[in-house]
Amino acid sequence: MAQKRRSKGPGPSQGELLAAEEDLAPTQSASQAPRSLERLSPAQVDQKVSELVQYLLVKDQKKIPIKRADILKNVIKDYRGIYSEIIKRAGRTLQQVFGLQLVEIDPRNHVYILVSNLPRLAVENLKQDDCTAKLGLLTVILSFLFMKGNAAKESAVWEMLRRLRVDPGVRHEVFGDVKKLVTEEFVRQKYLEYNRVPHTDPPEFEFLWGARAVKETSKMQVLRFIAKIQNKDPRAWSTQYTEAAAEEAAVGGLFEDVSTPGGASQGARRRT
Amino acid sequence: MAEDAGSGGDSLQGRGPDSGCRQPLASTSRDGAVPEHQQRRLTGGQGRQRPPETANGEGDGEEEESEEEPGQSSVRTEPDGNHTDRRMLRQQYRQLINRVQQNREDMLSSKSNSLTDALQEANKLFSGVSQAREAALDAQFLVLASNLGKEKANELHSEMTVFDSPAFAEDLLTFMGLNRLEGEENDSDDESIASGFLPNNAWHKLGAEAERYFRRSPSFHYMLGSFKADPPVPRQRIERQKRKVGTEEKRAMPSQLKKMEESHQEATEKEVERILGLLQTYFKEDPNIPISFFDFVIDPTSFARTVENIFHVSFIIRDGFARIKLDQDKLPVIEPSHEEEGRENDQNAQVRNQAVISLSHQDWKDIVETFEITEPMIPPPGVSQENES
Repeated sequence: MAQKRRSKGPGPSQGELLAAEEDLAPTQSASQAPRSLERLSPAQVDQKVSELVQYLLVKDQKKIPIKRADILKNVIKDYRGIYSEIIKRAGRTLQQVFGLQLVEIDPRNHVYILVSNLPRLAVENLKQDDCTAKLGLLTVILSFLFMKGNAAKESAVWEMLRRLRVDPGVRHEVFGDVKKLVTEEFVRQKYLEYNRVPHTDPPEFEFLWGARAVKETSKMQVLRFIAKIQNKDPRAWSTQYTEAAAEEAAVGGLFEDVSTPGGASQGARRRT
Repeated sequence: MAEDAGSGGDSLQGRGPDSGCRQPLASTSRDGAVPEHQQRRLTGGQGRQRPPETANGEGDGEEEESEEEPGQSSVRTEPDGNHTDRRMLRQQYRQLINRVQQNREDMLSSKSNSLTDALQEANKLFSGVSQAREAALDAQFLVLASNLGKEKANELHSEMTVFDSPAFAEDLLTFMGLNRLEGEENDSDDESIASGFLPNNAWHKLGAEAERYFRRSPSFHYMLGSFKADPPVPRQRIERQKRKVGTEEKRAMPSQLKKMEESHQEATEKEVERILGLLQTYFKEDPNIPISFFDFVIDPTSFARTVENIFHVSFIIRDGFARIKLDQDKLPVIEPSHEEEGRENDQNAQVRNQAVISLSHQDWKDIVETFEITEPMIPPPGVSQENES
């Protein structure tokens, strides 16, 4: 945290950033990282940072969260000693060059995702593929979960989806094996959590929002989506609206803490 | 509202002097039809009951309600005490109804308990009810109370909408462009699923809308396509695992070698069988003429194939499926052995007779020239046999 605050003031180019880091290095003698940083040439570190940025971008295509262990194994390798420095710089590059935010969704196991920081343009997205359709399905499920008290039995979710002609037992022309998509792919991507309800026999499962869903959208956003679909005011569902507003306030505070300065302002813009 | 009470009110009004609050009673029936109906039903019943029962005293309303004005003056034997009680009860009911009616706003307010209080009071009153007429008043009160209850509930809903997932689903389908007029009829067998034609891009349309509510990072894609993002990653992983786990590598090696040997042996066996098959077919065509060993074995186009053929044929000879002997010109001929015992003899003989044939490239050339061999009798594997015969 302290390091982050000290390295505020994002420069326009990475070269400048690096230079700034070099200046800072001697003052951070307390930790292990800066010492090994001194032994490596700036170009070497720079190279690693670029590699990591590329790695993260490619891994993000599948939307499966990226584990630190994989990053260490595939990119960092011998630079393990300055891991935190490299990931910090990669995060900044992603922020400044791509408008993406590197978010650690699981601080215990160190799992990362990329989240867009730029507000969406009002124009319709030109690129529409099956991922778009899948996001539609996902949003319906997330909406249902939120409106039903943030968790719902699997059977209830399927009952809802059946009305939309999505049946777990029937191959869908867009989604293929829908059951696999919902209970495996969305779960692996951390959009959904899929847990067994304790003490049920035969076992019953329930869905919850996953960590990625929490980061990529919010209760308020989902409520707005529902309001748009149902052509109502989001405040019509007063209970959910209160909950969503409370979350918005709490997360808003959190954004300021965690993200780099640029990220905080972006987060704020999104909320308006 | 009070005036539409209809005949119920009229008949009540026409009653005796005992009912001071008759008008309010009529006015209580917010929905005139219900009490009217009740009263009719009631009076009908009473009309039937009346004669056997001892009729009550003073000009009671029942007769009037059933519109049997003339019968009013019929026998009255009911004790006065009972009758006064009933009158009191009715009055209390009417007062209660009147009060509820007058204080509608208070009753509807979610903060006050007055509706509950009124219901409790009515409950108390009902304990004293013994006859249908009072019961009718009680029913009238209930109608009033339940109407108020419904209104109260409606007011709650206007403050807080409950999420209605079927309605949500319907709206989603509408948004996705469901055409309810066209469509697959087979869907309508389940009444919970709306019928109609859902366009192919329905989910894409919904997804495009949904994207606006997400901070999903746009993933880049290669303009000319590429291998999917996945394959390189597992490959890297496998390499690393191998490097780390040395034992696994050792274990893998012998098994691989064994496999190669096996496959090689299999190939030889197959080739030997193929050549034996060829030999047998040639011999079947001409059973009495032995085939020249050179003709059979030499491939005029390839020295290597020739050596290979000799190698393979040697297996056939060793296993006793064919034998080589010299004909009258002292040239080697080959013929398959047909009899079981013959083969056995040969096998025994083979053990004794081993021969090493040497064949140089020059020898091969000479033989090809001398015997004027133009085509191989054993086609190379993979080439179909028709070329030969």
